[in-house]
Order: sequence, then structure tokens, then C-alpha cells
Amino acid sequence: MTAIFPSEAWLTELESKLNSDKKYSEVAKEWEGDLLFKIEADGNLKEPLTFYLDLWHGTCRKAEYNPNAADYQPVFTLNAKYSDITAVLTGKLNPMTAMMTMKLKVSGNMSYMMRNVPTVLDFVRVAQEATKEIL
Amino acid sequence: MQPILKVNLTDNSIEEFNIPQRWQEDFLGGASLAARILYDSLTHELDPLSAQAPLLFLNGPLSGTNGPTTGRSVVCGKSPATRLWAESHMGGFWGAELRKTGYDGIWLTGKAPKPVFIWINEGKVEVRDAASLWGQDVYQTQESARQQIQIKGARIACIGQAGERGVLFSSICSDHGRMAGRTGLGAVMGAKNLKAIAVYGKNKIHAADETRYAALRSEANRLLKQDNESRVMHELGTAGAANYAEYMGAMPSKYYHQGAFPNVDNISGAKMSESILVGQSACQGCVIACGRVVNLGDGAKRKGPEYETVVAFGPNLLIDNLEEVTRLGELCDTYGMDTISAGNTIGLAFHLYEMKKITQRDTGGLELTWGSFTAAQSLIHLTARREGIGALISQGARALGAAFNAEEEAVQVNGLETAYHDPRGVSGMALSYATSPRGACHNQSDYFFVDWGHTQEKLGIEYFDRHAQAEKAANVAKHQNWRTVFNSFVMCIFANVDPQMQADLINAACGYHWTIEEMMKCGERGWNMKRLINGRMGLTRANDKLPKTFLQPYAEGGAAGFVPNIQEMLSAYYEARGWDKESGMPSEEKKKELGLDGL
Repeated sequence: MTAIFPSEAWLTELESKLNSDKKYSEVAKEWEGDLLFKIEADGNLKEPLTFYLDLWHGTCRKAEYNPNAADYQPVFTLNAKYSDITAVLTGKLNPMTAMMTMKLKVSGNMSYMMRNVPTVLDFVRVAQEATKEIL
Repeated sequence: MQPILKVNLTDNSIEEFNIPQRWQEDFLGGASLAARILYDSLTHELDPLSAQAPLLFLNGPLSGTNGPTTGRSVVCGKSPATRLWAESHMGGFWGAELRKTGYDGIWLTGKAPKPVFIWINEGKVEVRDAASLWGQDVYQTQESARQQIQIKGARIACIGQAGERGVLFSSICSDHGRMAGRTGLGAVMGAKNLKAIAVYGKNKIHAADETRYAALRSEANRLLKQDNESRVMHELGTAGAANYAEYMGAMPSKYYHQGAFPNVDNISGAKMSESILVGQSACQGCVIACGRVVNLGDGAKRKGPEYETVVAFGPNLLIDNLEEVTRLGELCDTYGMDTISAGNTIGLAFHLYEMKKITQRDTGGLELTWGSFTAAQSLIHLTARREGIGALISQGARALGAAFNAEEEAVQVNGLETAYHDPRGVSGMALSYATSPRGACHNQSDYFFVDWGHTQEKLGIEYFDRHAQAEKAANVAKHQNWRTVFNSFVMCIFANVDPQMQADLINAACGYHWTIEEMMKCGERGWNMKRLINGRMGLTRANDKLPKTFLQPYAEGGAAGFVPNIQEMLSAYYEARGWDKESGMPSEEKKKELGLDGL
């Protein structure tokens, strides 16, 4: 199954894939950290968008679409423009390029991030596979 | 830029050299400008350890301005290791302090009859006796020189015992372990009986447009503080990249013969920050502060190792203990030896021992067993003293290999040992190593960053798959041109500064009106200038090659099975460069385009 990004259905699909993908389960088995994505309005996205994922030992324990950001103190907060996050999701922009060129701004424990680059890259793979098309 | 101080150490004669304005506009500063200045002096016949050999310390137009990572300077000449162009960049505070003396460079020739040090105090120049400093390590030397001159704020660049004794990968050190490490210019300094250069000044450094420069500098530094890469460098140091490099099979282990290092977590920058790190250190004006300050449990604050040193004395020797790696790096620094070349050449000794080409009879009884800290430590001592097998190691990997009839086992290009970014993991490094003007260098084009994903849209530096080959040749050439701009500024390549911001900084500082294209043309001119110098010193297309080891695939890890096709990459590269495919030199047309015709 795939879904249109951005939508609640897409986030549900991503959560489902994260909990069923065997490779992700193996690669991310040590990962302990929740993520808050803040997407800036840009192009077809008219209002800022937020979504939250609690990732734990190769599974997704919780996903929430447009939560109240103040309710969370995540391990990582990721900020990006809509056009850049969609470029990553459609494979047009390498996720490491997005980070290294500040198209994806990362706040959080950089030590943990650098230790776990394979998990980060595999998370992106799963997110790409969950994405049918872009709004 | 300000004048260059010329000192002939044979007779202590001193004069000033005013850099022609045309050269400044064509080459900007730093290494490229040094290449233009030294062009006539650097010949095939010149012995780099002779009195005739020049040694030029030079700043860039932004040195000491508190611009983004511009507190650096460069040392240039002819390398005793490669007998080709030598440039080695030094962080710390020395270059900025030199600028405050009223000079932007020091051009040394001749040979002092006995050990001396140069003291430049607010423009007043003295050549002082250094008998009491000779034999001291780089930290003792700085302390002793400072005591003699009685000025606490003075900055000192010096050599250790390795430079005195002619180790061909001797470094020049300033401050706490800020090294001009590569190409062996510490040995050139030692051959001139010059132990140190102390500088102190109070001159104010002015920009052509002070108000605009201050605003740009402030904005550039603000952006750097927020930058993802800068934050990784600050929090984890350059070794923060170890996990990622290992994942890609780009971090060599066991002297470039093992494609994976499962214990990478034990030696990474992340591990350092979670264990022995007690602080960060920065060069003049730098907001990144990638330098590590560590405590190994004895209360002493030590310089922690950066990525190259971590790999040189960690995975390269199959050592997975961060404290041991730190101590080996510190020992090299103290003697004044480049950790990249020292680690590489010691790694070769271990490798040849495993091949039974070196035996215990050669090592004086030492067992060169992979993972042995004590063996590595002993070899560092022997190398710095040029004793026993250390005498061979002190001449570099190529010479060590040749001494045991195994030159092809040495992982080097043109006599400079490769750094720790394996082209089997990141293929762009194949061209970076093969075509760098100073041998197998990773700083003339740290293309591994591009292969990791760091593109530069405004310059057309695109992302190609890390195992793409000839199709990325033009991209590598562009990246080399850009890094040549950095080395002219002289700016640290860790500064993720937007190219338009770079051009704006130059324009505000120098009163130029450069576009990005003109700035990049300056980089291309500098790259070609160094190629022409190397042509004068005997380099041909045949010098553009990779060591045999890089043409054999790893059996394991993130790069398993891949080898670069260097000949195809080179052909595409010469095409992109506008170089003659036979000679490997810039064509007459290219020289004319760059204003280098006649050279």
C-alpha cells in the first residue's frame, strides 16, 4: 500500500510499513528516539505541517498528524520546506545532501545521529516506499 | 595584501617584497599566490633540503579578519618527500598574528650556519640564536621561545626533533597542535637550521569596505553556527564522520586491506564526545571549534585526535582503543611529525611484517602485530630519532617499500602517503589523489564530502553516485577549483560557506567586484599554476596514478567488490580540464584563457 503525501493516510501507511518492514526492523533495532517533522508551507502546501513519530527498536510506537508541537520534546526535530521534503520522498534529493546543504535542518543529538546513519537512511527508504504521490 | 618579509638565513639579509597587484587579483592569496611567487625558484634540479630552496609562509587577504575560519595561513615550497609542489595549511593563531606585524608572508632562503629562530616584533626583525631550543619538542620550543622574548601574546611556529633530523614527513606546529603537516616542510625548515618563527604585532587589519565586511562576516558566522555539518564538527570533531565513512567502506582498515571495521563505535567522534572529551578548541576567529580537548584520566588537558589521526592509529593498525589512538597522535605531534604519513608508513611496516618481508631482525626485535599499541609507539620514537628501522620509516612509505623490494605495496601517490578516504568507498577520491598537486592529498579536493552527498548548487557541483566513475570527472575538477579558492582565501574547508557569500567577503575585503564565476576562474587558475610548476619539476601524465592497493577490491564492507577505473576517469578529467591528453599539462589554449601563457 502507498498513500498521498501529505495526509493522515500517508502517516498511517508509514507507521504500518515501519512496523512490518523486516530490513528496517533489523537496521533500526538499536534506535531509540522520537522525531518531530516541521514542514514549512511551500508550493502546494499552503499551511505549515507537523507530524510526529516515536521510533523504538525497529518499530514505530506512535504516529501523530499535525500534533500540538509543544506537547513533545523529541530527540530530533527536523525542519524542511515542503518542496525539499517532497524531493527527498520522491528520491530526487539524496537525504544526506538535504542534511549537508541545510535543506533539512536537524536539531538534536548529533552524536546519536552520526552513529546511526544507516538507520536514518533506511527510515527514508521506508518513507519513500510509503509515498504514492505528492500533493 | 601587506609586503612579504624576505630573509636570507645564510647572511641574515632582510628585504621586503611587495606582491604585484596583478598577481593578487589573479591568484587572490594563500597557496595559489605562493605558487605564482615561487614559480621561477622551483625547478627540477632544486634540492628541497638545500640552502637554495625557498620556503614561503603566506596569508590570504582575509587572514586575521575574524571572517569565517580565516585565521589560517599556508607554507609552500618544494617537498622533500615528493620533490614536487608543496603546500601545507596551518590553523591556530600564527597567521593572524603575523598579519598584525605588518607582513603577510615570510619568504626564507639560505641556511643559517647554526640553529636560529626568527623574531618579528611589531615589524622589527631579529634572527636569534636557537642553540638552547634545538632538540626540544614543539611544545617545549614554544614555551622556551616565549620565555626568551618575554611577550606572552606572541605566536610561534616551530619544528620538533623530527624536522631537525630530516624526517620527510616533518610538520611545522603552532599553538597546541595546529600543524602544517603534509609534504614535509618541517624538514625544509630544519635543513635551514631554523627552529622557530615567533611573531607579535598590534596593527589593525582593515577591509576595503569595513562596514560591509563586518556585516558579511557576522552573517557568515551566524549561519555557520546553525549549519548541520558545523554542529557535527563542533560536537563530535571531524572524527564524527567515522561511522558514516565506515558504513560506506571509505574508512580504510588494516593498511587499506580490510573494508570494514566492526569496532568503529569504539574510536568514533561520538565515542570521544561521550567519554574523554572535556572541551573544544578553535582557531582564530572560528565559530566551529572542531578541535578536541580530552582528558585521559591523569587530569592533563590534551589535544584529542581528529578523523585522520583516529584512522591512522586506529583502524589502520587495527587498534580500537581511543586512549591509545590519542597517545600515538600526541606523540607524533610532539616530535613534529604528520600523523597521516606517519600512520600510513607505520601501517606499511606492519603490512610488510605480515608479508614476512620485514622481520624481527629488521625491527630490532619488535613484533609488529596488528593492534599493538606498544609496537606503534616504539616505531614513532624510532622514526623521529631516525634510529633502526625508524631511519627507513622516516623517509616515507615509498622509500620504506622500496627498501624491502615492495614499493608497490606503499599506499601513496608521488611520494605522499594517502589520507584515510578510500576511493573504493568514495570513487571521486581516486581523481583527487591521482591529480592533486601535492601527491595523495585529501584537502586539495575533499571530494568524499560530495560523494557523501554534499553538493554545491551554485557552482554546479552535483551529486553522483559514490561509485560513479568517469561521469563525475568534470565535477571533481570543479570541486578542486573551488577548494583552490578556499586555499587562496586561506579558509578552512570545513566552513560550509555559500559561494556568493565568499565572493561578497572578498569584494568587501579587497575592493574587488568579483562574480562567483570570476572567483571560480581564480581557483582554476591556481590549480593550473600548480600543475605548471609540477611540470617544471618533472611531473608528467605518468605521475597521475593510484597505488596498486586501490585497484584491488575489498572482500567485505560497504565498498566490497568495487574498484575505480582510474584510466577512464583520468581521460574524462583531462578533457574537462582542457589539458593535453598526452602530456597531462594545460594546453596552450587553456593557459591563454587563464592568463598563464608564457609560463
